[in-house]
Amino acid sequence: MPASVPASSATSVTLQARHVRKTFTSGHIESTVLHDLTLDVHAGALTLISGPSGCGKSTLLAILSGLQRADSGQVHALGHDLSHLGMRELESFRLQHTGFVFQGFNLFPALTALEQVELPLSYLGLPKDVVRKRAMDSLEEVGLGPRMKLLPAELSGGEKQRVAIARALAKQPELLFADEPTSALDAANGQIVIDILHRIARTHGTTVLCVSHDPRLVHHADRVLAMEDGRILSDHVPPSSPTNEPR
Amino acid sequence: MVALARKTLVYEWRRFLPAILAVGFASLLQLLQAALVLGIFGSASVYITRSSADLWAGYPGTQSVNLGRPISEDVAMRLRMDPDVVKVEPFRWVDADWRGSRDTGGVSVFVSGIDARPDGMMFSRVLPLALRARLNEPGAVIVDEADLDSLGVSVGDSAAINGQRVRVVGVSRGLRALGGVNIVASLETARVLDIAPNDAGMMTYFIAKVRPGVKPAIVANRLNGSNAFGPYTVWTAKAFARESSLYWMFDTGAGAGVLFLAGIVFLVGSVITSQTLIAAVIGSIREYATLNALGVGRGSLRKVVLEQAFWVGALGLICSIVIGFILLAIARNRSVPMELNPLITIACLALSMALAIVSGLAAVRTLRRADPASLLR
Repeated sequence: MPASVPASSATSVTLQARHVRKTFTSGHIESTVLHDLTLDVHAGALTLISGPSGCGKSTLLAILSGLQRADSGQVHALGHDLSHLGMRELESFRLQHTGFVFQGFNLFPALTALEQVELPLSYLGLPKDVVRKRAMDSLEEVGLGPRMKLLPAELSGGEKQRVAIARALAKQPELLFADEPTSALDAANGQIVIDILHRIARTHGTTVLCVSHDPRLVHHADRVLAMEDGRILSDHVPPSSPTNEPR
Repeated sequence: MVALARKTLVYEWRRFLPAILAVGFASLLQLLQAALVLGIFGSASVYITRSSADLWAGYPGTQSVNLGRPISEDVAMRLRMDPDVVKVEPFRWVDADWRGSRDTGGVSVFVSGIDARPDGMMFSRVLPLALRARLNEPGAVIVDEADLDSLGVSVGDSAAINGQRVRVVGVSRGLRALGGVNIVASLETARVLDIAPNDAGMMTYFIAKVRPGVKPAIVANRLNGSNAFGPYTVWTAKAFARESSLYWMFDTGAGAGVLFLAGIVFLVGSVITSQTLIAAVIGSIREYATLNALGVGRGSLRKVVLEQAFWVGALGLICSIVIGFILLAIARNRSVPMELNPLITIACLALSMALAIVSGLAAVRTLRRADPASLLR
């Protein structure tokens, strides 16, 4: 299998896929999106899954994050066997352990940046002041401290994506999933976003799994998995990866 | 907790406005319809509700106050014999034909012959003492202000009832009734106007007051115990008023009409409201899906949608209450019979809130489309 573990083997494995298979049927046509895929993802690193559209990378992300079920095979996340969890248990698992950043920012137009971040936090059952503090801290971390009272309509695209990252980050998740986080952004903002994701992996020890076809991101990842036709073709540490650079 | 439902409602008020208006209009229609029905059919019992008697004794089985038949004077004796009855007064009902001084053709009228003394119980709530005293003049009648036009007279004019000359000595308000125009006269005048030969000298009802602190229902029950003084039935004023209103409501088929219309209003209102709420959910479907991806459960998302429905309902109700009260005030000013009691008001408002909540439940189903996996491309 191509899932040989690269340089950072010392870190723990947080996401594990074993012989995962996923097929979609539309009408009479059955198309296999993932073929018997096996993969380990590590904590404290930014892992990038790249590949052309339709290669199955988003499906893989959905299965690894507990948003979708595999047809066969096993998925372990933080030691939980996701294939055996019910809908409620999956929701609760996601609430406790995962953060998501999507290509569209998906912010509620009526809420300020601070409220966007507080909203999912408030479902964690935390005291009000803790929710407020965590939300403010994560907005500071993505550099939006001075703009936290603004509505989405008053923020730029890059700032909106940073709010979305802060919303995911504030939950202090062990697993952070990002799907095409830079596709809707210009180069400068894409750079800022990927830097933030990378920093989160390093400073919080978070497992950051990012799916993108944006070639600019390759150099910012700790590990790059190239996918095509539902299979992982290569698994390597990019040449200019921060992991290889002297700290 | 971030008030997502309320903040979205305020921020996207244009989106929710049709739903608020639908609930508001539905609620307003229900309220006005109820007020009209209560007002119109309540006026079937003005004789009872505008008088201060506690008990009404009349012909056995009478279904509505306007259907009274002459009863024996002995019934008054029977009432007076009860230790808890402190006062008994006769009331004479005459169906008659009115000819006004202006050309109005014949008008069917109900003449109420009442005791014109200052302490009389009949119509004590609508006749000031000075006006009541004027009934003592032979042939004097009082009519409702709003009926002057249909009677073709002004105050001071003469007219004919059953061919006898009468004179309008004054007007009052709150005398309008169902089925005909109410004319108030003294017992003596009414006797003259009554041309039916077989009820000469016979009263239609005897009304009575009971000792303060005694329940009228208990006395009524006791009086209904025997028929030794001829056939009669005694009702409490409240029961007889209700019986009269209900008789009219069902006799005319208006009751079924009201229920039918209420059903239509509910249906149309909930279609508009649910469509608006569904559109609002679809408008935010990606955000809801994101929350679900982040682990916010479906149940919590449903609560947000239902809370939105609740606020839409509450705002709609407030609109309808404000407009409803303004319209009721105008109606009262124009003598349009409209009445609302707290119970019916609450029932109408509850129905409209139910409409909002049912629409919310329909919108909740749309949340099934909030599939976080669909956010991944």
